Amino acid sequence: MSAMIEISGLVKSFGPLEVLRGVDVRVERGEVVCVIGPSGSGKSTLLRCVNLLERPSAGQVVVDGVELTHPDADVDAARRRIGMVFQGFNLFSHLDVLANLTVAQRKVLRRDAAEADRIARENLERVGLGDKAGAMPAQLSGGQQQRVAIARALSMDPEVMLFDEPTSALDPELVGDVLGVMRRLADEGMTMLVVTHEMQFAREVADRVLFVDAGRVVEQGPPREVIGAPQEERTRAFLARVLNPTGE
Amino acid sequence: MTAAQAAPAAKPSRRRRARAVRAVQYGVLAAVAVAAALLADWGRIAAAFFDLDVAAAQFPGIITSALVNTVVYTALGFAFGLALGVVLALMRMSSVAPYRWIATAYVEFFRGVPALLVFIALGYGVPIAFQLAFDIYSTVMLSLGLVGAAYMAETIRAGVQAVPAGQVEAARSLGMSRGRAMVTVVLPQAFRIVLPPLTNELILLTKDSSLIYLLGLSTGQYELAKFGRSALTEYQSLTPILLAGLCYLIITIPLSRLSDRLERRYGGRPSTPTP
Repeated sequence: MSAMIEISGLVKSFGPLEVLRGVDVRVERGEVVCVIGPSGSGKSTLLRCVNLLERPSAGQVVVDGVELTHPDADVDAARRRIGMVFQGFNLFSHLDVLANLTVAQRKVLRRDAAEADRIARENLERVGLGDKAGAMPAQLSGGQQQRVAIARALSMDPEVMLFDEPTSALDPELVGDVLGVMRRLADEGMTMLVVTHEMQFAREVADRVLFVDAGRVVEQGPPREVIGAPQEERTRAFLARVLNPTGE
Repeated sequence: MTAAQAAPAAKPSRRRRARAVRAVQYGVLAAVAVAAALLADWGRIAAAFFDLDVAAAQFPGIITSALVNTVVYTALGFAFGLALGVVLALMRMSSVAPYRWIATAYVEFFRGVPALLVFIALGYGVPIAFQLAFDIYSTVMLSLGLVGAAYMAETIRAGVQAVPAGQVEAARSLGMSRGRAMVTVVLPQAFRIVLPPLTNELILLTKDSSLIYLLGLSTGQYELAKFGRSALTEYQSLTPILLAGLCYLIITIPLSRLSDRLERRYGGRPSTPTP
């Protein structure tokens, strides 16, 4: 069976700025891969290239056997099977929680109202927000909004989930709920590619950790190796800053 | 001389000075009111504007026919203008350059020429040029709509651009096409943002609907302004005009209240709570 995500030779430039300089990543089915690295290293851009929110300048992106970088690829169809969770939640602010979860099911997957409704409520229960179906996004806390966003992506029955720093915009006391949902999702066998600064989460949940710096994958391996015993000097320097910010 | 007198040895306190300024303001107001009351010929003014017999004679036609016609003409023009405005706004943001040029040229043209000329062109020019006989409703719908669309297109474009980019990214990541995301996510949010300015545009169109008089209306087609003018030929009083003006306010004041309320409710950041 082929890998879920296969990225090879990925290059992405914004004008003269080369953000990704030849990245190869392979994510197996059911695997949880965390991407860590300093800000500006290109890790978010890497994630956004997987569902072509950013169009790669060069290289190949294959998801579930479909080459998305091919000129004739049906990117909209592929995105239905690639769930994405954003740092800023990006819930549809004019729709209530339930409608946030049903709108794409109905307009994209053409599910009928009753089925979409049922699936949406199931997924709200799954993230622990079964009682919030009628709320508007702005009435929810950041942590609740992010869990709704996860439920929204799950309602499309994705094959793989992309998380772009899902807890970076949250107050510290709200981070745990979101990570808990993600941990359960990983336990259920979802294929996940997660850009994160939560080293504890990466250490405990990830099957593999990628350290990205200056547009390249510098080091990768099981978390106990990459986080526990990094081989590369840049990885060590980054981890020292993240794990011990005050330098004591 | 007065200035010298107003500058005594001890300088007046700031508060006292403010009180004096306010007293002068009220004084001027009172003086104007007294002058108006004494100098104006109230009997003549009343006969010209407030003739109750003439006023009574305007009813019920001014409401059941004229006011209704004004509302219908305006609604037709607004509906057409809004639809065309959305199309123009999308064209102005198109990736196809000629669409942008056409929409820009349209907006510049119809914002720049008086609505009066558009009414004349549609009422007289187009029927001759194209051998088309528009009825009065089509003419008013097209004329008001063509002018209104130019303003509304700019308003709608601003609204669309005010919707955060993350909303589109979320929609696209769920598999929606560009067009589907626009219709399902962006436009509904953009409309909330632009409801107050669109309401103001509706008020402007309400007043511009009076230009239809140029086209020659039959009695049943009179809207408020024409209704008032035609009554002038019957009576030696401007009372019908005053009444017609009040009828416009019956339409426009609730609309501007509505606009204020929408502004408070949806104004500011696009992601404000919308319970």
